[in-house]
Amino acid sequence: MYFWKCWRDTRSFFVVFLIIAAIVMPVAAMVCLGTHLVADFGTSAFSATFGLILMAVALGLGAIGAIHEFAENTAHFLFTKPRSRSYFVWAGWAVGFAELLAVATVNYVAGWLTLSRYSKNPFHSALFGPMTAHTFLDPLIFCLWAYCLTYSLTVLLHNGLKGLGASMGILFGFPLFVVAIRWRWHIDLPFPPNSIGSLPLAISSIIWILVAMLFVLAAQLVVERTEI
Amino acid sequence: MNELAIDSNDLTKTYGSIRAVDGINLTVPRGAIYGFLGRNGAGKTTTIKMLLGLARPTAGAAHILGLDVSTERMAILQRTAFVSEKKTLYPSLTPTELVRFSRGFYPTWSDNSVGKYARLLEIPMKQRFEKLSNGNQTKVWLLLALSQGADLLILDEPTTALDPVSVDQLLHVLAEDGFDRGCTIFFSSHQLEEVERIAEYAGVIEQGKLLMESRLDDIKSEFRLITAAGNSLPAQTSSQVLSVVVEGNFYRYVVTKDADGFAAGLSQNGAAITNIAPLSLREIFLQLVRKEQ
Repeated sequence: MYFWKCWRDTRSFFVVFLIIAAIVMPVAAMVCLGTHLVADFGTSAFSATFGLILMAVALGLGAIGAIHEFAENTAHFLFTKPRSRSYFVWAGWAVGFAELLAVATVNYVAGWLTLSRYSKNPFHSALFGPMTAHTFLDPLIFCLWAYCLTYSLTVLLHNGLKGLGASMGILFGFPLFVVAIRWRWHIDLPFPPNSIGSLPLAISSIIWILVAMLFVLAAQLVVERTEI
Repeated sequence: MNELAIDSNDLTKTYGSIRAVDGINLTVPRGAIYGFLGRNGAGKTTTIKMLLGLARPTAGAAHILGLDVSTERMAILQRTAFVSEKKTLYPSLTPTELVRFSRGFYPTWSDNSVGKYARLLEIPMKQRFEKLSNGNQTKVWLLLALSQGADLLILDEPTTALDPVSVDQLLHVLAEDGFDRGCTIFFSSHQLEEVERIAEYAGVIEQGKLLMESRLDDIKSEFRLITAAGNSLPAQTSSQVLSVVVEGNFYRYVVTKDADGFAAGLSQNGAAITNIAPLSLREIFLQLVRKEQ
């Protein structure tokens, strides 16, 4: 049904990035065979590429996986199916979210298997120091935030490119805004996945996830009220 | 059980100052084939959208199969098949994939019907929807609606882009299969010949108002063209006289209700009644719309 359709719409993009996520570290390791690069910088490179790959997947899936019924003039077909509009909004979101998690998992497993093979201490980065759960959870939360924002804006703007553009504008513009506010008024605005005020990082992470969900909820409310 | 498949009460939709649908009261009996007639922009599609929950009524209420459209939308959509005026579907999916997509939504779905109608309507099931001709795209919509096993078919301009042979096949399918299954068919059209061919009931909408709704036979029997010869006969329209055309000493009246009584009145004024003839649905429709304008 609709899950299948969402999967069909996103599967090419997903498979391409799944392959990239699976081979990026092993290929890098093979290219660097005979050097100490993997042992010295492999963990740093891995943690950096992990966030980059996930960000690309999050933005892409948000723009491709969101319901495009308004732009495609198929809203009258989909929204006369005996399911609530919220079902369609969240089903599309869930498929993209599952794919995002799958890419993250594959990239993580492939990366650590590679590092374990070539590095004596895969849990330590020469640049970033010891790796913790937050090293990988923080980019994941930020990418979830980016995914939800892109998905919601694509639904609201009725267009994948517009949604992607608006989302990237916010994602890359907001940090500059935060810096400007700090410089001018010495006020620290929270920005995902950083801590909110003095709250513990775990609590802050949960709040950021909830904020991400609110984007999708907003999209749902708008879709439910839209007349076709 | 409510005996009406569709029942609306002062259903109204306004967009700003425009009254797209102006307090219409539809009564569509269960099991009937109902032709919803109107010109482009008369309010047919807006009415259908309100019935299916795609647009919210500004005022009034409606029931489909006894269910309230504002509170029981899911139950209505479970039992109602719809063919939209816009015949767009997912461009990259083939008809086979669209069947796969639609099947899971309906427990009453029939794959036998898919095979039957795909053969009958000669639909290329393996071709992407965007590559299909306009006629075949319309047929795919019809295939999906007919295979749903619905109690009510709501078809908005279902014969758009179909060639005469396909129109003939479709009307045959609607009249035969729909009747056999006891399905109610509500279809909007401005193709009056199609409505006249299969519909038992008809409603005429113009500028958002339902001008007339009745059994087609009753509508036809109600309207008469009276040709009379005489001098200084009345030439004004009224609630009974929809139009008068004067050509020399000949007067042609289109009258509704009690044509014989009207003719008798003309005779008493010295007129010679030369002909009292029934009107086709096309003529009745044109008279009603012109009078409304």
